[in-house]
Amino acid sequence: MSGKVLVVKDLSVAYGKVEAVSKISLEVGEGRIVTVIGPNGAGKTTTLSAIMGLLPSSGQVAFDGCIEQVPEVERMVVRGMNLVPEKRELFGTMTIEDNLLLGAFQRNRHGHRDHLETMEEVYALFPRLKERRHQQAGTMSGGERQMLAVGRALMAKPKLLMLDEPSLGLAPLIVREIFRIISELRRRGVSILLVEQNARAALQVADYAYVLENGMVKMQGEAEMLRNDPRVIESYLGLASKHQEMLAT
Amino acid sequence: MEALHIIGEEHQSLAAILHAIRFMLKEVAAGKLAADLKLFQAMVHYLDAYAEKRHHPKEDLLFHRLPQRTADGAEALAKLGLQHAAAPQRMAALEQALAAYVADNSRFDNFARAFETYAEFYREHMMLEEDVVLPLLRKHLTADDWTELDAAFRAEMADKSGKDGKAEDFSALFSRLVDCAPAPIGFGPRPFAN
Repeated sequence: MSGKVLVVKDLSVAYGKVEAVSKISLEVGEGRIVTVIGPNGAGKTTTLSAIMGLLPSSGQVAFDGCIEQVPEVERMVVRGMNLVPEKRELFGTMTIEDNLLLGAFQRNRHGHRDHLETMEEVYALFPRLKERRHQQAGTMSGGERQMLAVGRALMAKPKLLMLDEPSLGLAPLIVREIFRIISELRRRGVSILLVEQNARAALQVADYAYVLENGMVKMQGEAEMLRNDPRVIESYLGLASKHQEMLAT
Repeated sequence: MEALHIIGEEHQSLAAILHAIRFMLKEVAAGKLAADLKLFQAMVHYLDAYAEKRHHPKEDLLFHRLPQRTADGAEALAKLGLQHAAAPQRMAALEQALAAYVADNSRFDNFARAFETYAEFYREHMMLEEDVVLPLLRKHLTADDWTELDAAFRAEMADKSGKDGKAEDFSALFSRLVDCAPAPIGFGPRPFAN
């Protein structure tokens, strides 16, 4: 397990009698960006939620060398795993700074008193948040909210950051900036599990990728390999997606 | 095939800038946004300095390898070669339209039309590369070709002086553009300062 921050084996999740995710196995190496791409409804978000302990699942999740029999959210956060959910889930009536401080809550509760230093690190990464730190989160634009959501997760000083559709609903200019920041986080040593429908952007930034369809891993490999795989190009990087990206207004 | 990765990255950045200018022009035309002329100038500069001076030379390096391996794609390559050669005139037309608009805001429509002409051309240009030429490169170039090209691309990326000898940090410029562009396409609006 050396060098692997996350090892998932045969993870299955069912909603009643319907199996949404079926025996998925995946790994995230230290300091690597691993992406899970696939169409809407493939089970990507369900997979992240189960790893984080937000959904009951079967199979095995080993995080940072320790097997979690039943992943539980609070414990996972304390151990260094964090999730930026698709809907950001910020507290709109609280200030940006208070939202950030909430991200450090569990860490602070366990005796760490480095939240002010961490906040300065987050502000260095997102200067916009510092400028607006006393404003309510509900006044922020979509791109700013995504930055705040990432910043809040970073306040917990995660070893593994899981991002669920960080580009969703954002303009191409902001998507490029968000993915630049994701690369910067890798450079700073954070391992990243990135779930994305924007396969083109995800495969550009990732080291390794899994293609999820109908709750199962259909393909996997180095991102460079998948970027140049005819099946991936046809299904996920093809003409339609490029037209959409280049013409979107 | 790191070279293909870099080309893809650069296309995404350029497409994002084109999208941003188009959005702002529509908003200005609709009276919903006050034009930030310096931001328009900075974005057009990005298209010039990044696309024409740094991106196209890399593509030329890449595309010249194809005829050495196959006759396929000759027509597309010839077309792209002409388009790359005409880049200075194409950019000059856009810059002149912008300069006229900066001097006289009644020339807005003229600039908007010039930009649409440029953007539509550039979209088709990138699509031709991605749909015709890049697949042929993937298919026909050898492992040795990719080793050489990847090394050449890495060297070019490390050389911040650029082909025109001017040092420019395009990543930092891109971040500033995002910072100043109005929501929902950017984190602004805020005035772009040189």
